Amino acid sequence: MPETFRVIYSAFRMAMLHWIADPQWVIPNIIAPFVFTTVALTLFRDSTGPFGLYAVLGGGMMGMWGNTVYSSGFAIEFEKWQGTLEEVIVAPSKLIHVITGRAISNALFGLTNMIAILVIAVAGFRVSLGISDPLMFAASLLLTLLSVSALGLIFASAFVLSRSAQALTNGLETPLYIVSGSMFPIALLPFWIHPAAYVLGPTWGIDAIRLATSADYVSQSFWAGLSPNIAIFLDLTIMILITLAYVLIATVLFKLVEKRARITGTMVEA
Amino acid sequence: MCKVFNVTRGIMHRTKSQVVAVKDVSFEVDYGELFGVVGPNGAGKTTTIKMLTTMLLPTSGKALVLGYDCAKEVTKVRERIGIVLGGERGLYTRVSAVDNLNYFADLYGVPRNIRDKRVKELLDFMGLSERAHNRVETYSKGMKQRLHLARGLINDPDIIFLDEPTVGLDPEISIETRRMIKELVDKGKTILLTTHYMFEADELCKRVAVIRNGEIVALDTPSGLKKYVMDTSVVEVEGYGITEKEVAKFREVPDVMSVSAELGEDKQVLKLQTPKGSEIIAEVQQILKNSRIYDIKIKEPTLEDAYLRLVEG
Repeated sequence: MPETFRVIYSAFRMAMLHWIADPQWVIPNIIAPFVFTTVALTLFRDSTGPFGLYAVLGGGMMGMWGNTVYSSGFAIEFEKWQGTLEEVIVAPSKLIHVITGRAISNALFGLTNMIAILVIAVAGFRVSLGISDPLMFAASLLLTLLSVSALGLIFASAFVLSRSAQALTNGLETPLYIVSGSMFPIALLPFWIHPAAYVLGPTWGIDAIRLATSADYVSQSFWAGLSPNIAIFLDLTIMILITLAYVLIATVLFKLVEKRARITGTMVEA
Repeated sequence: MCKVFNVTRGIMHRTKSQVVAVKDVSFEVDYGELFGVVGPNGAGKTTTIKMLTTMLLPTSGKALVLGYDCAKEVTKVRERIGIVLGGERGLYTRVSAVDNLNYFADLYGVPRNIRDKRVKELLDFMGLSERAHNRVETYSKGMKQRLHLARGLINDPDIIFLDEPTVGLDPEISIETRRMIKELVDKGKTILLTTHYMFEADELCKRVAVIRNGEIVALDTPSGLKKYVMDTSVVEVEGYGITEKEVAKFREVPDVMSVSAELGEDKQVLKLQTPKGSEIIAEVQQILKNSRIYDIKIKEPTLEDAYLRLVEG
């Protein structure tokens, strides 16, 4: 087990070094959120209700989400571009552990979005965002990050088999923002979309984050009528179970696709 | 062992076909041996290496490395082998040599206390210590190739697979790379090398397998392979204005076993393998009557000549 964590950490570190070495991340992670948040907060300046909560946390979640769905899915392609995929595959460590490290790094880096939006909202638009339970906020954020990373692993496995997986992740990015409730409450969506929202771990994570930010949000959460602490506990428990299911599914998928790739030669150029 | 790829083409009308990449390839390599695999592009050299390094599953047959089945005992094989692929790719160029080596050491599960010592030793051995903390993208081709070798040795493997390690390198760096390969053999490593360059195989390898269209057509020591062409001489013609049509005419001459030509703009060299030796000169002059001939030499055949004869069938 320690070897597994060492591989995950090493892959995480390597991905972080690449993020730092390549300043392109400034555009999607700082400039784009700056523009979107400025537009949103200007348009809805006079709105009432927890608008700041949705603008800031929703925008931040979109960043984390987008970074993970795009970058984790892209993790295999990145290795192919570098020409390192063969060397990574031939190493005795499991490919899924390498991609896990990359997925966590991608999700963590996506959080810079949230920080950028937070700074813009508080400093530029004087949005009040008092966090009522900082400890639960941090715990919910961390677990959501891990859940998003686990979902990224499932996308990554598709890339082992096909280059057209890029189209899959591109096409799913926006629907996932909407279905997970990052943009607005799920209650506003048609009822037949709700089951899709419930199987997404981040849906529960976003609910917990909002509960930890504002106790008043409990009336709009899945657990209206319960105390905020119990509601957060239930959200996080469900999210952990869903995340474990993602890891299990990703492990099986990686085994299957790796075997298939060894037969078809799709992972390496022969 | 055999490897067949299923190929599907087309979007509206999908057609399926099979490509036989390797067919009935069978050989054994001794401990501490430097074994060469040579053949033209697409002959099946890389597919063979990728099956032996567990990257591809054989369609039929069995590949054993150190007694472990490459299809079933994947981790055991991977722990004991190193692989070095040719070319400039295969390294994380945005980070340093140390970061590259540390990363792969972690993927191979090299214990931390051994890792740092080994990375330092490898960087010293490859002459990269002074630039160890610079980004790899600032390295020359030769430095990148040395780093490739260092990465292939990070787990102190028993067997090293070198896939065209000198491809695209200038002569000076190629000589240096070959010197390092020899040192590895002296240290007791077993090496399987694929190469396009026959002089390289001749200089380094104890035995060489020649692959053509996915099949081994000859397996012997370099001197043993040269015996395939002992009954022939090589007539080397240097000239100007030689055309492809004239080269094709030589292929039809009954006593010419193989023909190779380098028809560059500045220099044109035609090589003919024939048992007739100098007796063929009149015929050469007749075929090349519209071209200029600067020089004709009769030479002893080399490993390259043996290779050409074997791959041309």
